[in-house]
Amino acid sequence: MAKTYDYLFKLLLIGDSAVGKTCILFRFSEDAFNSTFISTIGIDFKIRTIELDGKKIKLQIWDTAGQERFRTITTAYYRGAMGIMLVYDITNEKSFDNIRTWIRNIEEHASKDVEKMMLGNKCDLTDRRQVSKDRGEQLAIEHGIKFMETSAKASINVEEAFFTLARDIKSKMDRKIDSSGQVSGKQGGGYQLKNENSQKKSFWKSCTLL
Amino acid sequence: MAEVTPNADENPWKKLNVAIQDADTLRQEAVEAHTEHLITEIETLEGPLATTLRAVYDGEGVDYFMEKLDARIKGHDHEIERMCNYHYQGFIDSIRELQQVSGDATKLKGEIQGLNRELKFSCDPLLSKGDELVKYRKIQKNVTLAIESLSLCLPVLEMYGKLQEQMKCKRYYPALKTLEQLEHTYLPRVLNHWFSQTMAEAIPRLRERIKDASMVELKDFLESIRKHSAKIGEVAMRHAAEQNNMDPSIAKKRVKTRRAPPPPNPFTGEVEDVAPSPPTNNSDKEEELSAQDLIDFSPVYRCLHIYSLLGDKEKFESYYRSQRWKQAWLSLQPPPNMHESLDLFKKYFHDIIGFFVVEDHILHTTQGLVTRSHMDELWEKTVEKLSATLRITWEKQMESFQEKKTNNNQVAENNNLEEMEIEEVTTGSDSPQFTFTLSSHLPHNKSCKLASLMLEVKKLIVLFCHTLKGYGFSVGRLLELLLEMRDRYSVILSDQWIDVFTDIFTEDNYTPILCDKPEDYVIICSQFPYTDKELDKSEYPRQFPFSQFVPSIYVQVKEYINACLKFSADLHLSHTEIDDMIRKSANQLLTKTLGACLSKLIKKPSLSLLQLIQISINMNYLEMSCEYLEEYISSLTGAEKDSVHIARLHGSSMFKDARSEAEQQIYQQLNLKIDEFLDLASYDWTISDSKGQASSYLMDLVVFLKSIFMSFTNLPVFHTSCSKYVEKVAKTACMSACQHIASRLMALMLDNEVKLLSMGAFHQFNLDVMQCEQFAASAPIPDSNDGTLQMAFTDLRQLLDLFINWDWSVYLADYGKQQSRYLRVPRHIAVSLLEKLNNGDKKKNNLFASLKKNERDKKRLIETVLKQLKVLENGAA
Repeated sequence: MAKTYDYLFKLLLIGDSAVGKTCILFRFSEDAFNSTFISTIGIDFKIRTIELDGKKIKLQIWDTAGQERFRTITTAYYRGAMGIMLVYDITNEKSFDNIRTWIRNIEEHASKDVEKMMLGNKCDLTDRRQVSKDRGEQLAIEHGIKFMETSAKASINVEEAFFTLARDIKSKMDRKIDSSGQVSGKQGGGYQLKNENSQKKSFWKSCTLL
Repeated sequence: MAEVTPNADENPWKKLNVAIQDADTLRQEAVEAHTEHLITEIETLEGPLATTLRAVYDGEGVDYFMEKLDARIKGHDHEIERMCNYHYQGFIDSIRELQQVSGDATKLKGEIQGLNRELKFSCDPLLSKGDELVKYRKIQKNVTLAIESLSLCLPVLEMYGKLQEQMKCKRYYPALKTLEQLEHTYLPRVLNHWFSQTMAEAIPRLRERIKDASMVELKDFLESIRKHSAKIGEVAMRHAAEQNNMDPSIAKKRVKTRRAPPPPNPFTGEVEDVAPSPPTNNSDKEEELSAQDLIDFSPVYRCLHIYSLLGDKEKFESYYRSQRWKQAWLSLQPPPNMHESLDLFKKYFHDIIGFFVVEDHILHTTQGLVTRSHMDELWEKTVEKLSATLRITWEKQMESFQEKKTNNNQVAENNNLEEMEIEEVTTGSDSPQFTFTLSSHLPHNKSCKLASLMLEVKKLIVLFCHTLKGYGFSVGRLLELLLEMRDRYSVILSDQWIDVFTDIFTEDNYTPILCDKPEDYVIICSQFPYTDKELDKSEYPRQFPFSQFVPSIYVQVKEYINACLKFSADLHLSHTEIDDMIRKSANQLLTKTLGACLSKLIKKPSLSLLQLIQISINMNYLEMSCEYLEEYISSLTGAEKDSVHIARLHGSSMFKDARSEAEQQIYQQLNLKIDEFLDLASYDWTISDSKGQASSYLMDLVVFLKSIFMSFTNLPVFHTSCSKYVEKVAKTACMSACQHIASRLMALMLDNEVKLLSMGAFHQFNLDVMQCEQFAASAPIPDSNDGTLQMAFTDLRQLLDLFINWDWSVYLADYGKQQSRYLRVPRHIAVSLLEKLNNGDKKKNNLFASLKKNERDKKRLIETVLKQLKVLENGAA
């Protein structure tokens, strides 16, 4: 069976309820926007293939429910994620404050070397802004992660954010391949990343390189 | 001589001598007689003497004659002498007397000359006097003659002067009368005057002038009625509205100034909400003037009189009629953008009514200028043109509506384009605001506007019919037109409701309605017929089983029914007809419009599974509400509920269809998700050993499915009263998902692209299928662990078991038997997989040139089995 892609990256969107995770994903996968708020129930995903440095990368992006009652379902998905988008709403102070909680969640459930990125969504609503961009930057620097302000509605930075995260994941992976001294997989054979964490193996397996 | 001879014989000489002597005497006597005779002849003969003289000379007796003649002359001279002597004295006496007379004559002459002189002298003065007298007498005669002529001419001239005066004052009719008199009475009297000639020549010209002038007046009049006919029409329409208990404001054109609130304009006062104040009454009166009072018809009458006087009545009639028809035709030409504004419609109808009101007036006030049949003919043509125009206008409306609709979809913001107009329209009529309250801010404003415009136009047409019916015209065809219009109206309404429904669907959040406060609960209960005794007693927040769109749709369907009903008002239809029509429209809306909207909604790819489930739950409740809709229609139309149910609502079946469509969509969506996972699958079919655990994509899939079904059933996402239904859907979904996974996995393995297979791959694949079986056995839906889910994977299980257990003898032995362990492994699949396995082995063997005994045995076995299978094939064949 011929593979239609070079990499498969699993990304996860987390953040408080109603910060716009589904909208960001909808914008990225369909390039559309829907203003009615329909809360996500449980978990959903979308797949979009992008091209980076001549490589086809499939991004399977998991969209989680922000509501507390779905927490048990959603945390199950942290493990396999290679990149996590932390989303808050710049018009909602609380959602920003909760970023710290979400980061703790990541530390608890996700694998150690997961790529993270922080997004301040709804940046088009300038007149309702509660969280300044500088505070966002500040927090991101504290945790050593990248930060961007986005707007799913106005289509600002959504594409950039996902590409940035994908590029970071890719370069980290390329570095690992280099450091482990393997140039490329044999023909017809899969190449399997060696990880410190063996229980993560099953998730990484699919990130094979032809 | 003979006589003489005989004498000689007898005594010749004696006898002779005697005879001679006798003869001589005789001759003597004869000569004498002859001469006598000649002389007498000469004396008596008055003529020429020639013959006589000749006779004288011829005879021998000239001398004798001469002698005789002289004798005679001497006799005569003697006689003369005697006579003279005799008369001499008398002569002397006479001379003497003559002398005396001569003296007297001279004397008398003198006397007479004197007298003559005297007379001459005395007559001269008399003569000159006489001449003078003659002269004066002549003058006198002339003067009398002149006076006579003048007395004859003066009235003529006076008349002429009067005529000129009348012409100047434009009193053409009297002028014409004067002209008549002048021509027939006065001018003949002065025929011999040169000016009469001029006048007589001028008369036809004057007539022409009068004609022209009255024609100009008529033209002015025509122009003015054209100007006023709209006003007349408006007034007539308002009267008709009052008579028919309709809202008179339908007829009224909106006065622009009304938009500026202060100061109150006396002309608009009456339409404002303030109680009518005294000045407004005045304006009322002014408005109440009958149509005829608005226009001075005298020019027509005058012109008609003038023309009939001039004998050109027919010409005038035909001119008038053709001009009026031209005007009517002009009125009948709709303004190009009529379909956009009610005001233009009003003006259009006013104009036409005005035309007929004026004609009606003319009909009744003149004789024969307009006839009933002519009017009817005009009306006929008008109706024809009007129908055509209205039809075209609807077409245009629809066109521009469609156009604007597409535009609106692109630019949702330009909906305030003609909002002003719409608001005005609504304030004027009773209350079609329902459409605006809900959606005035939405892009489909345009279709609302169109529908309400149509409603207004319909009212206008109804009133138009009433008005003209009042004037005795038959309006049947127009009423037919209204029915036709009604169909269009419901089409537009349906179109409008597409937007309404779509908006409702976009605005819904597809989660059960949660009411925190009693007010919210009461609102929902008032909107939608739903009773749940438990819910009535439960604590707040109360949760309805359906999402917001259920009551919204229900309310909108009712609104649509109301809107349809509005159109049938004043159409004089029976209850049954209205009921029939409304049911028909409602069915149309439910099955076509709402059905299509729901179908579109359900097909929307962005809908999540849970939203789809909520939609199918909603369908159950909408289905239940159908009977309330029926009741609602019956209550509106007054038709008896138990009467012949020819047109029952088809809503229930439509909602049932929609529900099953939504359910199908759920299964399909789930399958699509599964497909996305399977697209991530990447099997290495030549792997020598399995990885010891299932593929990651499949693990993800299983986790995903678990969480999906957990959300379906274990979480309080849906109202508890729906749990049975959701469970049923979830069960079916789960079954369909398992079947889909199984068939996809099977397809992966049987893929023609896969040429080589290793046992390691079989083992790996087995691990994956085991994951699926575990999922199926784990009862993802509570209380559904009856083993049916695992059955979806039976085919795969048997196939994998056959290869992994290498159980070919059993397979071949039991082949075709009911109790066979591998009943579900078709021979051709077994063959194909076995061949792939063989190929995979061959390749490996070639590579390493392995001559291991095991391998050789295995290879031999495979070949035997293949042979056997082919035998089976032949046997079967």
